[in-house]
Amino acid sequence: MAFEIPKVTYTGKIREVTLGKGPKAVTVGGETSYPFHLFEGAMPHPPRIAMEVYDTPPEEWPEAALEPFKDVAKDPVAWAKKCVQSYGAELIALQLVSTDPNGLNRSSDEAAQTAKKVASAVDVPVIVWGSGNADKDADVLRKVAETCDGMNLVIGPVVEGNYKQVGAGAIAYKHTAIASTPIDINLAKQLNILLGNLGVPDGQIIVDPTTGGLGYGIEYTYSVMERDRMAALTQQDERLQFPILCNMAKEIWKTKEAKTKTEDAPTLGDAKKRGILLEAVTAVVLLLAGADVLVMRHPEAIKLVREMIADFTAK
Amino acid sequence: MLRVGENLNVMVKKIGTAMKDRDPKPIQELALAEAKVGVDFIDINLGPARKGGGELMEWIVKVVQEVVDTPLYLDTINTEAIEAGLKVYKNKKGKAVINSIMARPESMDAKFPIAQKHNAGIVALLWGPSGLPRDADERGVLAAELMQKCLEFGIPGEDVWMDPIVTPVTSPQSQVQVPSCIEFMKMFKDLQEVLPGMRSTCGLSNVSNGAPEHLRPILNQTYMMMLERYGMASAIVDAFDEDLKKFASGGREDLRKLVFRVMDGEEVDLKKLSKEQADYAKTTRVLIAKTLYSDSWLEL
Repeated sequence: MAFEIPKVTYTGKIREVTLGKGPKAVTVGGETSYPFHLFEGAMPHPPRIAMEVYDTPPEEWPEAALEPFKDVAKDPVAWAKKCVQSYGAELIALQLVSTDPNGLNRSSDEAAQTAKKVASAVDVPVIVWGSGNADKDADVLRKVAETCDGMNLVIGPVVEGNYKQVGAGAIAYKHTAIASTPIDINLAKQLNILLGNLGVPDGQIIVDPTTGGLGYGIEYTYSVMERDRMAALTQQDERLQFPILCNMAKEIWKTKEAKTKTEDAPTLGDAKKRGILLEAVTAVVLLLAGADVLVMRHPEAIKLVREMIADFTAK
Repeated sequence: MLRVGENLNVMVKKIGTAMKDRDPKPIQELALAEAKVGVDFIDINLGPARKGGGELMEWIVKVVQEVVDTPLYLDTINTEAIEAGLKVYKNKKGKAVINSIMARPESMDAKFPIAQKHNAGIVALLWGPSGLPRDADERGVLAAELMQKCLEFGIPGEDVWMDPIVTPVTSPQSQVQVPSCIEFMKMFKDLQEVLPGMRSTCGLSNVSNGAPEHLRPILNQTYMMMLERYGMASAIVDAFDEDLKKFASGGREDLRKLVFRVMDGEEVDLKKLSKEQADYAKTTRVLIAKTLYSDSWLEL
């Protein structure tokens, strides 16, 4: 009798969600098996990488991360264009860090204008990420949704504390909501339920499980994502059958390991290579756990991960 | 299923104050009320009781036994307090029970001799040297250790209440922990052959810890039926939860049958059930980890 490789039987499918609009819109999700288990099911859409753009010049980035963007760091529009034109970005992730009430505290109107300018300047889908302050984001993201009516943005993080306001904006102006929970599978499911109850269509929800960088608790994120895919694919858990987005770059490049200069820690090797590899390896870990969209920073890390995705999905 | 009233607890503000002030009245009133609703044991929970725990336990055991005959669970990690309570305890309608002895050397070494000396019952808690056991098998290992000690110290089976540790369904580990507590109960009959007469108990309401307050009862009730199916003999519960009391005394046979069918893997058609039945079926599915828990599990 010939040996047969044991296979997982799946009963569910991840929903397909289309981000952006026009010829460069991307569809993610649609998997009928665990990530890259192409011998068991289909992965009709490969995972995508969004490149980060900041709405204010980054101050604490390590040299290696800033270097490719030095010429555009003061201008988010030019930055976004550079990502698309020079690095072939498939999506842009605009980080509205300047709206943070504990930082520059820029107004929602100003942030919405920035978002509109960036989204108008590129033809790829745009993710707009708030400061992470739930109250401020309720206002900022609502305003972004309204100002960018019909531009099919991807907005978040939508959390338990502001899902009504931001969710309403997503419904009214047709954007995709990023349902974000703090590394907790039960809360993730609950927020998806709440967004559904609110009336956000299933085709406009993508899930952010919250991620740490490599060496900073990524195993917890991995477990939550793994469990998420198990429930979605083998237990027909409809409220978890959404694509997953990981806003990971900022977690890597803020770590001591990514920031320490070569001369300050010669045993850790070249700082640039180190940062890039930390980012690339984190990305691969998250892809293996089930990420559909990664928010990344360094062009060389992105290049490595693209090659990896191509290898993993090769027929 | 026997009920152990959990209400006489230092964490309850009124009781905590009465304990501190040595005011017998609120304590006696509560003990009487628990006895009136028919609990089988009254748990006296002093918390850690680090300072003056011995004197407090002695006082409270006397005060409670002045008004009720119900046997007592003495619940504190302070060994000295346990012993002080046992010294003055009068066996009216049953032995006092030490709540609890953990499967850790320091706990077993300190408390088994006291149980033996004062002829007390014990709650054998499956909490090991590295904390909460990860699954049913690790529970089994800890159970074996505790049973070995019972034999060593001559604690008869009927005085032993094994507690497999109920964990919240809302916690990240719930997918493994909540079903594995049931799994452990499936092997309990085999363990009873080693220590005949041994029974079991559990902190039932912990299963619903963290769930919305108004939805906790259905989790508690359903899990109680599930545990009882495999021989869970008692549960530490809110003495005044009348609904739970109904389930504990074998009521709602219709729901019980339904819960068992779902436990056995039957795909019951929710549409053919009443709202109440569907709720119990859904809750069972959550508790056997067929459905991932979320606060809105009944609405799906």
